[in-house]
Amino acid sequence: MIDLLLLQAMRLKGRLDAEAAAACGAIEVSEAQARLDELVAVGHAKRAGTAVRITPEGRERLAALLEEERATLDRAALQRCYDRFTEVNGELKAIITAWQMKDAQTPNDHTDPEYDRGVLARLTELHGRFAPLLGEIVAAVPRLKPYAGRFERAITRIQEGDHSFVARPIADSYHTVWFELHEELIGLLGLSRAEEAAAGRAV
Amino acid sequence: MTLLWVGEHADLDRELVGGKAHSLNRMHALGLPVPPAFVLTTEVCRRFYADGERLGDDVVSAVRDAVRELEARTGRVFGGTERPLLVSVRSGAAQSMPGMMDTILNLGINSGVQAALRAHVGDAAYAADTHRRFREQFERVVGTAAPEDPWEQLIAAIGAVFRSWNSPRAISYRRHHGIADDGGTACTVQAMVFGNLDDASGTGVLFSRNPLTGDPEPYGEWLPRGQGEDVVSGRHDPLPLSALAERLPGVHGELLAAAAVLERYGKDVQDIEFTVESGRLWLLQARAAKRSPDAAIRFAVGLHEAGVLTEDEALCRVTPEQLDAVFRPRVAPEAKASAKLLARGEPACPGVGIGRVVLTVEEAESLADSGVDVVLARPTTDPDDVSGMIVSSAILTEIGGSTSHAAVVSRELGTPCVVGCGTGTLSGLAGRVVTVDGSTGEVFEGALPLAPCSEEDNPELATLLRWARGRVPGFDGPPRALLEAAQAAIARDAEVYAARR
Repeated sequence: MIDLLLLQAMRLKGRLDAEAAAACGAIEVSEAQARLDELVAVGHAKRAGTAVRITPEGRERLAALLEEERATLDRAALQRCYDRFTEVNGELKAIITAWQMKDAQTPNDHTDPEYDRGVLARLTELHGRFAPLLGEIVAAVPRLKPYAGRFERAITRIQEGDHSFVARPIADSYHTVWFELHEELIGLLGLSRAEEAAAGRAV
Repeated sequence: MTLLWVGEHADLDRELVGGKAHSLNRMHALGLPVPPAFVLTTEVCRRFYADGERLGDDVVSAVRDAVRELEARTGRVFGGTERPLLVSVRSGAAQSMPGMMDTILNLGINSGVQAALRAHVGDAAYAADTHRRFREQFERVVGTAAPEDPWEQLIAAIGAVFRSWNSPRAISYRRHHGIADDGGTACTVQAMVFGNLDDASGTGVLFSRNPLTGDPEPYGEWLPRGQGEDVVSGRHDPLPLSALAERLPGVHGELLAAAAVLERYGKDVQDIEFTVESGRLWLLQARAAKRSPDAAIRFAVGLHEAGVLTEDEALCRVTPEQLDAVFRPRVAPEAKASAKLLARGEPACPGVGIGRVVLTVEEAESLADSGVDVVLARPTTDPDDVSGMIVSSAILTEIGGSTSHAAVVSRELGTPCVVGCGTGTLSGLAGRVVTVDGSTGEVFEGALPLAPCSEEDNPELATLLRWARGRVPGFDGPPRALLEAAQAAIARDAEVYAARR
């Protein structure tokens, strides 16, 4: 299970360091480092500075593990979850965009605390509403359990005042975690992002 | 007051004759050549309704006499078989509103006149085309088929103009805006001129200053042997004004002189439509020109330098939005004018980025590592595209909108980004150097220079802001707020002055 989690995280993030691996695997950093070293040793990952990247062999292994997993899943339940996710997806993206842009032409320069508070309140409210659906997704795909912790961590950091956790890329901001979860669901259902985007579900 | 001629009075009351006739008359009063025109006043419209939507015999008689006068002034004959007279018929209320009848062009043509036109202009296709377009337009605008008899066409069109005053859309607009229903519309009838008559004829557009760059040089297009519709339809490629200067230097000189007069009188840069018939210049329309933000700044300062505007007036000619725009990174307007547009999409993150287009993250990272500027182009972006997005000067996607992953991430990175360029539009750009404007959503070929975006680099901008600071001394704030404060101060002073008088 951990191998699948870490290889998938490598694939989604491009570069994975021990800290990010720990969050994605819901394990301690020291264990994460050890696991990454193992993956490098067997050739499924290669070093890239302080992080690792997936290798072609790693991709093959990941594909095989995902296929095994797919056979165990209740596809109908997953499809239902995905449909409900799609409904919330548009809302989340609108909130993130409202955080970044006050209107179509005007970037948010964050000089209006009331405006910012309003957007963050919307995000927190959505997260509260989303929690039950996330629970069902995890019930359908147990491997996705670490996402709950990653979302919580993002919300907590935001509430502590670190607003980079709204949308900063690479780091586990709310938007980054959401987007990776969406990517997971697309893959689990055997869909493609391009098709989903063309259908308006992933734009 | 039934019928007035353009050019007979120093000034015509807009309430009586409508905006079009008023502006034609003003041009005539300035000594500028406008094709002869007469106008049936709004009083005639009111009487039309009072008489049960009927044109009185006196009105019809006045129109007949007026058309004879048009014939005399133009040397043409209405319904004639040698030098046919064609006219345009326009509605014109004192205030413009929707629902008023659209303009009818080339009225007076029928099969006989078409044959005359064919011989007169020497172009069978043009004559047939004109007849067809007139019939279609008449039917669409008046609601009935065009009669064969030019007189009947004219009377029907005039009646249709007056009836349109009470079209549902016009009534609804007046209700909504609290405008009285008894104003009525005027009807302007003007002789048409033929830009395709011979080699000394043509049609064109002139701007008294360049609307894109703000250069204080007249800028325009000239289509020899063309009619207005040809330019609009894009059927032929117009030539630069220099071609007119070469072919008809007298006309060119007259046109530039007219532009200078109109700019001074209108106190603004002008957009002038003109036609030349057999070496004779005619002005069809003149109005304040639309302009780019860069041009707006330069116009304001330039018109002040020319003595056309005071500093206060110049300050009020620039909008806060235009001022914001010239502080943003953007392609230099001169370069943009001749640039080749390769793709267009939705602006997602502002700024300008230049680089070689790559289609994969691997390529982006490896080229960027060797110091090459890259622009990442993807159908749509995935989480694992982020490392490629980070090293790119700009990001492009084929599918996606303003809430897409590419848009969100590019804004976090502050990387210029254009999304939704269209499926299949980007892969062909691989390997090419492009300039991406994330504020306008445009992708241009090549590495284009940027326009100055600070006072230090932009002398006219510096001048404008200096005037603004002079207006509100001690004001502390960003340029946009400074301009708004200066404009507010000017408005307050104007109120105080008006109150005192």
